[in-house]
Amino acid sequence: MSARRGGNTIRGPRSALTDFLAANNISAQQIRDDYQRRRQSAADGGDAGEGPSNQAAEQNEDEALAVAAQAEEDEMKTKKRKRSEKDAIDNIKKAKSAKTSKVDAKKAAKKKARKADPDLDESEDEDYEVDYKKAKPAPGQFEHCDICNKRFTVTPYSKEGPDGGLLCTPCGKELTKDMKKEQKAQQPRSVGRKRRKVESERLDGVATGGAKTLVQLCLQRVAQHHDDVEELGDLPPKLLERLSEIFSKKRVMKSKTLPLFLRPDLDSVVVHDAAYLEEDDYHQIFAVVPNIKKLVLSNTCQMKDKSMDYMLERCHELRHISMYAANLVSEEMWYRLFREAGSKLEVIKLKWLDAAFEDEAVREMVNCCPNLERLKLKLCRRLGQDSVDYIAQLPALKHLSLQIGREVSNDTLVNLIEQRGPHLETLSLEKFLDADDTVLEAIHDHCTHLAKLRLSENDTCTDAAFAALFTAWANPPLSFADFNSTRDVDNNNPTGPEDEPIGLASAGFTALMAHSGPSLKHLDIASCRFIELSAFIDVFNGAQSYPALEYINLSFCNRVDTSVVAGIFKSCPSLKRVVAFGCFDVQDVVVPGGIALIGVPRAQDAIEQFGVGIGVEEAIGRMVEVGG
Amino acid sequence: MAASSDYVTLISSDEFSFIVQRSSACISPAVKRMLDPSNGFLEAKTNTVRFDNINGMVLEKVCEYFYYSEKNENARDVTDLDFPTEMCLELLMAADYLDI
Repeated sequence: MSARRGGNTIRGPRSALTDFLAANNISAQQIRDDYQRRRQSAADGGDAGEGPSNQAAEQNEDEALAVAAQAEEDEMKTKKRKRSEKDAIDNIKKAKSAKTSKVDAKKAAKKKARKADPDLDESEDEDYEVDYKKAKPAPGQFEHCDICNKRFTVTPYSKEGPDGGLLCTPCGKELTKDMKKEQKAQQPRSVGRKRRKVESERLDGVATGGAKTLVQLCLQRVAQHHDDVEELGDLPPKLLERLSEIFSKKRVMKSKTLPLFLRPDLDSVVVHDAAYLEEDDYHQIFAVVPNIKKLVLSNTCQMKDKSMDYMLERCHELRHISMYAANLVSEEMWYRLFREAGSKLEVIKLKWLDAAFEDEAVREMVNCCPNLERLKLKLCRRLGQDSVDYIAQLPALKHLSLQIGREVSNDTLVNLIEQRGPHLETLSLEKFLDADDTVLEAIHDHCTHLAKLRLSENDTCTDAAFAALFTAWANPPLSFADFNSTRDVDNNNPTGPEDEPIGLASAGFTALMAHSGPSLKHLDIASCRFIELSAFIDVFNGAQSYPALEYINLSFCNRVDTSVVAGIFKSCPSLKRVVAFGCFDVQDVVVPGGIALIGVPRAQDAIEQFGVGIGVEEAIGRMVEVGG
Repeated sequence: MAASSDYVTLISSDEFSFIVQRSSACISPAVKRMLDPSNGFLEAKTNTVRFDNINGMVLEKVCEYFYYSEKNENARDVTDLDFPTEMCLELLMAADYLDI
């Protein structure tokens, strides 16, 4: 009908199907001819019932399909397969089903509309309209673009415009671009990802129900636009540190962003991921912030002697040094650091030193840093027993954290505790596998000011020794207790020795809670496998209250069940987080408001369950309902 | 009597005033302290708080946050409050000052 626009051929009237086939580069005539030829070559001669018609224009849809179907059948018989034919047939079939389903859908929609509005009386016209469509020009023909009205050659890839007409290539590209953008904008972020993000934030302790704080939102936004920020202005150091943490976590603490955190008036520089920083960056730190008192550089793997040298030259106020993985700093430079800056140093934290830093360096430190109050040495491969002996001579030491890979004898540890114990406020001994009951006894006898005690990863201390430690201990109640992974490890006897349990077990745990219950804030008893259910129930009985307790980790204490968790909710009014990975008897917990329960294996919709504003009583009530 | 009014006025450095619910404004511990009659600040008597370090645009966003936060107090999976990125640092300072 619109032949003039459609191309330069003159055509008579044709059916919708013929148009469609033409548009898809399929010729009914060709199919028919091929079919005829095949029949002749098969030389059946049997049925000549269907006379070939030359009037392709009058061929209706059903006939064409019948022909196609029969063609297929014959094809099977003669086994002469021609790929193009098969494709053609498939195309016809597909087109038919697509078309009918489209029409059906439209009809159904209309029916709905009609139901909603029975006065509508134009349905028949519309049905007709749906079936009738302007023919599209075949590939190779010319068409005028629906948008820019330019003449162009139609290809099989020409896009359909918003009004149904075809588009020229540039317009088509434009359109797909727009559509993709729109789809992206419309598509809500996948639920899975969002949930993962939410859970991850909860595990990080960022989100605890309700709205995030405005500070959090702003920090998040700053971190998101880290590339565009030119200056952070006079942010208070606290926020600056938080921001630095976030930048580190996102791994964007680089030469470009580092200057944001350097201000001459600051007295601290905290970079938790300095892996991208190079010599110039270190120089910049010490040049811009010469009055630095607190220096934290983690993953500072590119820090070399030269940078350290410059630091000693520029910064004379250093009080706090914390460096992780500074493996390019030589032994001599460590000596120099202690000699030149040692007298003022109050805090030293060193971790992950493999290449240098030997026992002798510790001796130098002890000799040069008489004011050292806080010392942390972890995962320094070359340190051993001698270091512990030297540390025992630090006069002002209040906080001590050690994790030493080499073997350290019990006598050494006991000596350390005897020497330093009376003044220690923090004692953390990680992975001293062979520390035995004598060490606990020494702690009991000599430590009287401890607030934080950690003794983790040990399979030698007995439950009886733990119980003795917390019985009649002159030390005030602890606020931080971590005894994770103190248990017997023996694959042949997984339940441990029956009569004398190893590690913190029932008696020790009960004694600990009796001693430290009133001020305990943080309790970690993960993997203390031999604490019996009865001990848990006795401790968290609902009547006994632990007013300060905010965090409990009882992962892999496999005796814990739902009633224990309920008891914990009842007994701990300030509770914020309960971590319970691998406690398979905990089921159907209803979590009261303000508490996060992490890691319960059968939580249905999330790793972590989070209370939504119901009280403890109500939650327990519901739990009883569910459980009973 | 004024002390028990349900609404309080917050005035920005450029003299824009925002009248907001007392309960919402008290989401900020700082504002709460200022408005607590037992502390005897002038703010508590007049029910008006002046912020000389916060401008009108930022204070408007802060007020929006007050309401947003109150509304979502017990909700989970809250959508984050949106704000123009240019305002971010000023807002951060204000948020830190107000402890929200």
